Amino acid sequence: MKIQGEQLLPLPPQAAWNLLLDHEVLARAIPGCESLVPIGPDEYEMKTKIAVSSIQGLFAGKIRIEEKRPPSSYRLVMEGQGRIGHVRGSGVLTLAAEGASTKLSYQGEAHIGGLIASVGERMLDMTAKMMTKKFFSGLLREAESAPRPQEASE
Amino acid sequence: MATTTTPKVETFIGRRIRRQEDPRLITGTATYVDDVKMPGMLYAAILRSPYAAARIRSVRTQAAQKAPGVHAVFTGADVAGVGPVPCAAGLPGLRVPHHTILATNRVYYVGHAVAVVVASDRYLAADALDQIEVEYEVLPAVADPEKALAPGAPAVHPEWPDNIAFTQKTEAGDIKKAFADADVVVKERIVSQRLVPMAMEPRGVVAEWRAGEKHLTIYSSTQIPHLLRTQLALMLGIPENHLRVITPEVGGGFGSKLNVYGEEALMGFVARRVNKPIKWIESRRENFQTTIHGRGHVDYLEMAAKKDGTILGLKLKLIQDLGAYHQLLGPLIPTLSVLMMPGLYKFQNVSADLVGVFTNAVPTDAYRGAGRPEATHCIERMVDILAAELKMDPAEIRLKNFPAPEAFPFPTATGLAYDSGDYAKPLHKALEILDYKKARQEQAAARKQGRLIGIGISTYGEICAFGPSPATPAGGGESATVKVEPTGKVTVMTGASPHGQGEETTFAQLAADAFGIGMDDVVVIHGDTAVVQYGIGTFGSRGTAVGGSAVHLALQDLRTKCSRFAAHALGVAVEEVRFEGGVFSSAKSSKTVSFNDVALEAHICRNLPPGLEPGLVATRFFEPSNFAFPFGAHIAQVEVDKETGEIEILRYIAVDDCGKVINPLLVDGQVHGGVAQGLGQAIFEEAVYDDDGQLVTGELMTYAVPKAQHVPEIESHRTETPSPVNPLGAKGVGEAGTIGASPSLVNAVVDALAPLGVRHIDMPMTPQKVWRILSQKRS
Amino acid sequence: MIAQPFEYHAPESVSEALKLLGSLENSRVLAGGQSLIPMMKLRLSGPAHLIDLGRIAELHYIAQTNGSIRIGAMSTHQQVATSETLRQSCPLLAEVAGHIGDVQVRNLGTIGGSVAHADPAADYPAALQALRAQVRVVGPGGERTISIDDFLIDAFSTALGEGEIVSEIIVAADRAGVGSAYRKLQQPASGFSVCGVAVQLGVAGGKITHARVGVTGVASRAYVAKGVEDALAGQPANAATLAAASQHAAEGVDPLSDLFAAPDYRAHLARVEARRALESALAAAK
Repeated sequence: MKIQGEQLLPLPPQAAWNLLLDHEVLARAIPGCESLVPIGPDEYEMKTKIAVSSIQGLFAGKIRIEEKRPPSSYRLVMEGQGRIGHVRGSGVLTLAAEGASTKLSYQGEAHIGGLIASVGERMLDMTAKMMTKKFFSGLLREAESAPRPQEASE
Repeated sequence: MATTTTPKVETFIGRRIRRQEDPRLITGTATYVDDVKMPGMLYAAILRSPYAAARIRSVRTQAAQKAPGVHAVFTGADVAGVGPVPCAAGLPGLRVPHHTILATNRVYYVGHAVAVVVASDRYLAADALDQIEVEYEVLPAVADPEKALAPGAPAVHPEWPDNIAFTQKTEAGDIKKAFADADVVVKERIVSQRLVPMAMEPRGVVAEWRAGEKHLTIYSSTQIPHLLRTQLALMLGIPENHLRVITPEVGGGFGSKLNVYGEEALMGFVARRVNKPIKWIESRRENFQTTIHGRGHVDYLEMAAKKDGTILGLKLKLIQDLGAYHQLLGPLIPTLSVLMMPGLYKFQNVSADLVGVFTNAVPTDAYRGAGRPEATHCIERMVDILAAELKMDPAEIRLKNFPAPEAFPFPTATGLAYDSGDYAKPLHKALEILDYKKARQEQAAARKQGRLIGIGISTYGEICAFGPSPATPAGGGESATVKVEPTGKVTVMTGASPHGQGEETTFAQLAADAFGIGMDDVVVIHGDTAVVQYGIGTFGSRGTAVGGSAVHLALQDLRTKCSRFAAHALGVAVEEVRFEGGVFSSAKSSKTVSFNDVALEAHICRNLPPGLEPGLVATRFFEPSNFAFPFGAHIAQVEVDKETGEIEILRYIAVDDCGKVINPLLVDGQVHGGVAQGLGQAIFEEAVYDDDGQLVTGELMTYAVPKAQHVPEIESHRTETPSPVNPLGAKGVGEAGTIGASPSLVNAVVDALAPLGVRHIDMPMTPQKVWRILSQKRS
Repeated sequence: MIAQPFEYHAPESVSEALKLLGSLENSRVLAGGQSLIPMMKLRLSGPAHLIDLGRIAELHYIAQTNGSIRIGAMSTHQQVATSETLRQSCPLLAEVAGHIGDVQVRNLGTIGGSVAHADPAADYPAALQALRAQVRVVGPGGERTISIDDFLIDAFSTALGEGEIVSEIIVAADRAGVGSAYRKLQQPASGFSVCGVAVQLGVAGGKITHARVGVTGVASRAYVAKGVEDALAGQPANAATLAAASQHAAEGVDPLSDLFAAPDYRAHLARVEARRALESALAAAK
């Protein structure tokens, strides 16, 4: 399954880049993320709770940042599994200056298996879209609060 | 219901008799495996792999063992002593993977059984499954047979990196000459997609071990109780006479229960280990993932012909998706396709290259039609493609290539001998019912208005009445025992194991007519190895033609014996005894003796004729001399919605020749059900594995089987050409509808789209697929 | 196909239901259960508590007052489909209800449950968008009324707050000279809409006075096809107008994708079914 999205962040590329490498920021922006613990350089153990419609599921897995080209792109690789299924995917986040802002775009692919894939085919695409949307709106929230640290601490 | 029989002048064979089995089925009073309840019974649930290919690093069951209500948990290591799941396909050079009943160090498809939990109820068993932790090392998988053949594809079984299970080459006639002589050659790639057989009742097993008697009883929803017993004896190491297999009501099989499954042996193993009765009922999700699938063909075809439409020869490359393992007959199924590839046509030059391919998917095996729908779909599509190429009428080109009625038994290119037939007859009849000429005129008029109307013909043949024993892996005869009780009631025990075909009715018709009694006076018993003599089972449209013939022979034996009792009572020679309407009489005697009188006398023996033993019991085994070859013509008339791609079936005409008909109502029912399933394949159904081997159509929310609203009125008609290979003259009809339906529907849709230059559409013809073709052709 | 253990609660009043919902951890509302129960049986959903609204009499009604019709959230699809009030005064909603799932689903599923679940392929939202329906919700903070367009946020997500339930759907009764229609292409397995278009059309003096178009199944939530509505308003009521207007039916949406229908096919269906629904509605309006 292909996943893609775009988001304008009100920051210059370098600031956006820093934001995107801050794992605490990522932890807040990734929908359902309950913990994101560094286990090596650019590698984290992640626990997320997925809740879509009445579906609930805990996923445990890893994310890794690869192919870093500051401040323009990196690849995000993830895998996770839970009782209701498993996910593996990777995609490239690209940053491009657009005036004083940064256009962030994401192009990736996800492979979903297990229970959710066998019974929820209809919902996979819409769920992926929704998660991507939430992730980007989470990043936007972070970006909006980033240049004003006094508010971010609230 | 009367307790003694009364003579009946009325006869039943050939009449539309309602099914004796239906009242209990439609009132919910029948007994299925899940209705079997025993004191102390425990319930099993099975943990299955979510991955298509993975190494099992560890299976941790401690938490599950301690979960509430859990009695035991077993994994692959525990069941190592149980024999592998059997494959009866003895093809030369066939690679047979060792198919353990639970996975050991590796899983090969999504749904592969990894562990079993035994608990005091099914709910606790399901809860405990969540407590088992399996650590997998995920491996690359391949679920598409053509991708599996490509160099560098992941190896399904590491020992066979080419993923080839077997190859088979067939050459008949002079294929080179046929193609050299041809005016025209047409080529096409045709797919018969993977399908889920979808019996309404999923599989289910109850196992009861009696330690004192060292006796195991297995209740299973199977089509083959005796074969299952033999195989379970070998797998479990229990003498066959310490094993009893009972098939209660079976809620549909369609070939999916013509198998020996790991779970049947697993429940036997578990029952013995925990010394309690065990029940396992398959969920619908498990049914999707782990009960065999059907079809899974990719065929590359080339047909050579003369300008006048005479077909000269056919070349075929057949790629069969076998899945990860072989089930009972899996690899044999595509060999039936090769045998049936010439269809009803007389050309004698065939070359076929068959390759059976391993994939990370559930095994494929027999599904209603088993090899013949694939072959029929191919040949019937190719004939239409040829007709289009030559601008010939599809009916005309068929009529031109049929063997003449006097050519029977007709030897085919692939070495079969078609028993009897007049192939033009059902086609003429179907054309007449449709009013073909008028339908073509209407089509032309509709096309002028921009409407897409199509007429599709298929003239199908099939190999049925399986079969002569040398051609059938486990023997191809069938057995029957008929017992006349002292009250004149008759019990028929058949070795065939009917499961929806209605043979309790058909066989009762045979018995009622043989003895001049009523339908209510006959009981047909099947599916219990402790009660019924050894038999083979119901599949391959063999129930009536083979099983019924055995019943017929046993009835004849008893009729002869009854006549001898009657002759003695009448004081005449046996040749002078007449039997009519349940009464024995003779021109030489003023007395009469009823069937009832004979039944009683045969048991109490007040006046036993000299040289005659008491009793009225006969057991016969019928061995057919050949297969029987039913045939027919189906015509579909459709309209395609040119905006949405939806297909509306305007008319569906089925003219089937299944030989001699015992009960036309049941034949209609078989045709209706068969057509519905063929329609399912043509328009709705497809088991889809994604690139990772995940079955993404794993539920009835995504996998569409036709519902009542999708099935048109089926106009069912017949011609009747008796088969010479069995005493009933029956050919078989269980699979006919499925075989005839898919090519007639696809031919009709292609015909509708022909003005746009469409030549072929693969199944299922979903609205999106049809729309996409329409949009491409328009632009 | 066996759910995880859960506790079942059957309150008999809305206030009791809200109290339970506010006090029980990991609880879910059962309002017919035609989506929730299958998810639970597949173990995709495992609430600890189910609060069944089925026995709350005060949520079962269909009543017309002045120009509006109020439908209690626990009215089943069958009740909506066969309601004389609706058939007379808002036939579009009754028609759409008759297209949902199959008989068994219609006998158990409820309008409140469907709306709260917000399945992007559900039938009701198309009609509710076309009808500019209002959704009344009750919760710990009291009652509020939300337009359906504000209520439906995204796939399976709504404006329902923590502890709130849908209590009522409100639609306006049709005026004279209005025709309506629903067209649907369904997934043959699930019966869900791959594309469903609900239309209400008012005609006077050969002109379209009023056009309302709701589309479901195509995007991640049912939407108002504003482009179609705008292209129809005040235009002559003829086939050409309808055909031209229906070209806007998928404008600005990001269509869903699954095995049965890719985004381009869904968008195409929206245009085709919009035109066909408009044609039927026009015929009904005359």
